[in-house]
Amino acid sequence: MIEIKKSKIKIKEVKRENENNQAGETGLNGVLAVKNLTRKFGANIVLDNISLTIEKGKTTVVIGPSGCGKTVLIKHLIVLLRPSSGEVYFKNKRIDNIGESELNEVRTRFGFLFQGGALFDSLDVFENIIFPIRQHCKITNWSEIEELVKAKLAMVGLDGFQNYYPANLSGGQRKRVALARAIALNPEVILYDEPTTGLDPIRADVINELILKLRRELGVTTVVVTHDMASAYKIADRIIMLHNSKIIADGSAEYIRNHPHPVVQQFINGQVSEDDLAVLRMSGTISKAQFLPRDFKK
Amino acid sequence: MLAAIGTKTVAGVGNAGRFARFMWHSIMTSFRSFARGQTYPLIWTQMHLIGVRSVPIVMITGAFVGMILAVQAYDQLAGMGLEEHLGVLINISVVKELGPVLAAVMLAGRVGGALTAELGTMNVTEQIDAVRSMGTDPVLYLVAPRVLACLLLTPFLIIYADLLGILGGYFVGVMQLKINNQAYWSFSASGVELWDVAVGVVKGFFFGGAIAIIGCYKGFTCREGAQGVGQACTEAFVSSFISILALDFALAVIFKGIYNTFYPYRSLVG
Repeated sequence: MIEIKKSKIKIKEVKRENENNQAGETGLNGVLAVKNLTRKFGANIVLDNISLTIEKGKTTVVIGPSGCGKTVLIKHLIVLLRPSSGEVYFKNKRIDNIGESELNEVRTRFGFLFQGGALFDSLDVFENIIFPIRQHCKITNWSEIEELVKAKLAMVGLDGFQNYYPANLSGGQRKRVALARAIALNPEVILYDEPTTGLDPIRADVINELILKLRRELGVTTVVVTHDMASAYKIADRIIMLHNSKIIADGSAEYIRNHPHPVVQQFINGQVSEDDLAVLRMSGTISKAQFLPRDFKK
Repeated sequence: MLAAIGTKTVAGVGNAGRFARFMWHSIMTSFRSFARGQTYPLIWTQMHLIGVRSVPIVMITGAFVGMILAVQAYDQLAGMGLEEHLGVLINISVVKELGPVLAAVMLAGRVGGALTAELGTMNVTEQIDAVRSMGTDPVLYLVAPRVLACLLLTPFLIIYADLLGILGGYFVGVMQLKINNQAYWSFSASGVELWDVAVGVVKGFFFGGAIAIIGCYKGFTCREGAQGVGQACTEAFVSSFISILALDFALAVIFKGIYNTFYPYRSLVG
């Protein structure tokens, strides 16, 4: 396991209060919890009275159709978005109502993999990975940092790419570099926003294996947002399904596979709904009138 | 109709409030970042991008302002036999008003637009969220170095614009229109005081701060997509331009008041 050696790299004082995982004043178990979370954008309710608890050391996968609020939910877990109403807890401490500077200290204990990687395109891979270290640690020994970056990149199978810029990397490589950056501060919780979207099946499986490896080797709590069911079945200890702003299913992969709710079955089997089919039928057959004539160019 | 006006008013007040909060946070964070060693390399980088690379465009602007003033004013002054006062007119106009304002407008286009485009792209590709997710204040990392670089270098760029404006006026007035060299500089020296130069340079701090804060704010709040970033850049330039003019008016009134308190009235053609 790679660790930042505190003797040589002085990590800034981070208040670590209430480390135990016992039920606290909130009565909520687990490392992360949301209670009655509602989020509106204008009149649009994206999350409606959601309550859930994320258990320590487990992988929780949030599934649901595009636009159902998965990304909005995961961004609330690290308070990149503030709830319209409801509460967010990290280790029994409420974090949705604290100031940004205090929140920044909490965020150093999280790693977040964004959908597109969100690498800084003006910095190369090495500088991207040391970004959080630079911000929160006093670097006294650069050779040690180089070793650390090498180790982080080796974990994601990209050692040797230190001098590459994000523009010169493929989509899968960018996500792996972003993952190396997300684990730079040895986080306790890693949040993944659609980690396999846009990747071919083999690259997607590489990311799945990485998620499993990080959980196994670092013992981190993992929350993954995805609509890739192959990925969800492979990595999940628990699957939560969002639909129409609410949780409609919550349980193990086996439980979700056999869930009686028709929407769950339709989603996990990737079937088009009768309503969608009806709309397609109503639109009629594809006639010649729907195409431009071959000689439309003068 | 009334509902629409009400909605727009509420939205306008909300936007003004958000901008005021962003501005306050940016100013406070910029001053605090002076005490943070990690910020200095970022400030140097921004100084190069914002300051050094703007020197040619600002110098060209200044030179043409001086030359155009000379061409336009010469006939009027010559008609009254006052052509030797051309230097006073050009130089005081350049150092007090036209140099600072036109240099700032050029910077609003070159620097303000670039800041908005860069931060806007970072915003829509979640790079600003990534900064926040790693426990860093994006205003500290992204805005403070840009504000400080603009604040510190705009006055110097204005000095360059002034210098080239003076030389441009001299080139047309003395070398092309054959005004007596000694008289040109002698009247200029008697008409332009250090106060006038200082007023122009001090304006640079305010213009630079306004350009940087507006550019960064528009980048941070731009909507998604290429159109969103493009629109934010346009809004940044228009807002910066209006702010420069409004600040120039306010500062002209304030500095005139200060001057009149301490010094007697002076005529430029006495």
